[in-house]
Parts: sequence; structure tokens; C-alpha cells
Amino acid sequence: MYDQRFKLTSSFLEIAMANLNSHADGKKVGIGGYISLLTAIVFFSGLLQSSEWWGVLDFTTLNGSFGNILGGGTFRGTGGSGARDGFIFALSLVPTCMFALGMVRIFEHFGALEAARKLLTPILRGIMGIPGVCGLTMIASLQNTDTAASMTKLLHEKGELNNKEMHIFTAFQFSCGASIVNFMGSGAVLLTLTNIDGSLAVPSSIGMILGVIFVCKIIGANILRFYLNHLERKGAFESQADKNMEVAHG
Amino acid sequence: MAEKAQKQMLTDIFVGGAREGWHMGVGSIIPNVMMAFIVIKALSITGAMELFGNLFAPIMALFGVPGEGAAVLMAAFMSAGGGVGVIMSLFAEGVLTGEHIAILAPANYLMGSTVQYAGRLLGVVNIEARFYPIMFGLVTLNGFIAMLLMRILI
Repeated sequence: MYDQRFKLTSSFLEIAMANLNSHADGKKVGIGGYISLLTAIVFFSGLLQSSEWWGVLDFTTLNGSFGNILGGGTFRGTGGSGARDGFIFALSLVPTCMFALGMVRIFEHFGALEAARKLLTPILRGIMGIPGVCGLTMIASLQNTDTAASMTKLLHEKGELNNKEMHIFTAFQFSCGASIVNFMGSGAVLLTLTNIDGSLAVPSSIGMILGVIFVCKIIGANILRFYLNHLERKGAFESQADKNMEVAHG
Repeated sequence: MAEKAQKQMLTDIFVGGAREGWHMGVGSIIPNVMMAFIVIKALSITGAMELFGNLFAPIMALFGVPGEGAAVLMAAFMSAGGGVGVIMSLFAEGVLTGEHIAILAPANYLMGSTVQYAGRLLGVVNIEARFYPIMFGLVTLNGFIAMLLMRILI
């Protein structure tokens, strides 16, 4: 069972190794990366939502709306239910999902995630009790759960993370795994729901929801951090236990 | 590889991301949302949804959400996309309002797909088995904290 899991994991590890190596030289974060990060935050925050010219910098504004069919209402119609209504409704979510992921990739291309990694790395010890070396894995975990899982395992095996830090970091990743891709993919559409009068129904923004998600992920990781400290004091948990075991195996 | 990346047109990058979105839509969102609509329909016509709503009403009232909102969180454990489907279906039926959705949305993701991630994350990283229930407890707690935060923020 363990072998099977290990084989499955090894392919992910190769990807993770490639990722780590490609970033090992510390891809420089230029001013463009920070501008891209700032633009991404503003773009998804909903701050500039408007029909004026500055609406061009807002996701919801550019996402637009479906037109009305003859006689009023959108192509989904009203009064539907069950599988058919579910399908036609789900279809109406796809453009938002495509637009959101397209934009995420563009901001990523201009270095937004690298800039986020650079900003987060020095504060990881303070906010979660894990070392700065987790910065890259943390950013990866916001996009892909499997890659981040493998990278975390690798960090533990290389001795960069002890047993306690690994558990804390995993708790952070476990809640809302692949946060950005998952939320942008299927959650951003919630913000586009409209009331019968055509006004936007949900009084929130992508920025607010992602902010709350991120804060709660950190809170959860810290609760585990304090619990593990408590167990350690009682002698029921050892920070170094698994690390030593891995070294012995290695 | 680096040269290839440099030569990549901005439009290609966007289209690549949009294509990912399309695959996510067809492979995950549509099937999950459709399933959620069918389940909600089944629960509604049997009267189970009303029962469910009454059962969880006292707990969910703490977060300013009707009892039926608990169905969102339960579906979320299996799949965050399914949770979105339940939200949409309940919104279409007029059970949930926009305010309720704002409160439930972060919780749906914080608790979302954790049944899948137990294998894909906790299993891969080799988390000690005794901590599995604690991890599930933490994501649930995260969801509850998020609902309280959203209730204050909106």
C-alpha cells in the first residue's frame, strides 16, 4: 500500500524537484512582479467596479453579463429544475471560470506569484512557525494541491521541515487546497449572481472572500501549532521524530 | 525552454488559462453542479430538505444562514464545486439570498474537497493517522470562523 502510494508520489516529486530547481537560483523579482501583484489584487478586489473607464481594471466589470432573450430574462430562463436546469445553469458559469483562469495566468506570467512569494517568505516563521523556505511551496499550494503535497514531502525529507512544521504547513494547505485556482474556477461566479431586478446579489468581492479564506487558513494552522506545542510539552509528540526516521531510511 | 517562455504571446498565455478554465468547467463544474441540482430536487420533492432545514436551523442561525445552508457545507466536504452547485440551486429556489451566499462562500472552499485531499495531501505527506480527525476538525472550524467573519464584514 505504502509502495503503491510512493510510486504514485514519485512522479509528483519529479515535478516538485523540477520546480524547486527552476526556482533554486532565486528568480529575481523585479518591479514588474510587484506591479503585477498589486494590479491582480486591485483587479480581483472589486474596488474599481464601475461602468466608467476605470472599470477596465475590474474583473466583474469586464466579465460583463448575458444578454436578455426576447421577452426578458437570460438564456437560462425561469422555472427550470433538476438535471436540465443544473446543466444550463452550470454552462452559464463557464465563461467566468475561463476568464478568471486566463487572467490568473497573465498575472502569473508578469511575476505576481513570485512577488507574493518574496513578500511572504520572511514572515512565514512569524505567522505560522514554519521556515521561509516554504514560500515557494506555499505559493504552489494556492494553485495545485498535488504538486504542493509532493514539495512538502520533499522539504521534510531534505530536513528543511521538522515533523511539527510539516504538520502545521499541511494543515494550512488542507483547508481550501489550491485556493486561487479552485475559487477563481468555480467560486468567482457566485459574485456575478443577480437578483430579479438585475442588480448584483452577493454583497462581497473576490478580494474579500479570498482574504477571509487566507486569514482562516492561517488561523487553522496556528491552532494546530499551539496544539502540537501542547502535545510536545506533554511528551505525546516529537518535532524531530519523523525527520530522524527519514534520515535513517535515507 | 526559457526562450520558448519569453516568446509566448500574452494572448497565448490568456488562451492557455482560459482553456484550463474550459476543462475545469466541463470536467468538474458542470457535472458537480448538475449533480447538486438533482440531489436538491430529490430532497425537495421528498420533503427531506425542509426537514434538513429545520434540523440545522438553530446552528446555522448563529451564522445568519437558514438551516438548508448546512447542505452546502456537507456537499463541500465531497467537492467544493458540488457545494457551489447546492448554493446555486438553493439560490434559484429562493432559499438562500445574496447575503447568505456571501457568508457561505469562503466556508464552502475552506471545507471544500477535503475528502479528496485526505488522500492527495495528507496521505502523500504522510501525516500521522491520529491527526486526520484533527485536520478535519480544523477545516470545519475554519469554515465556522469564516462565516462569522463574513457576517461581520458584509
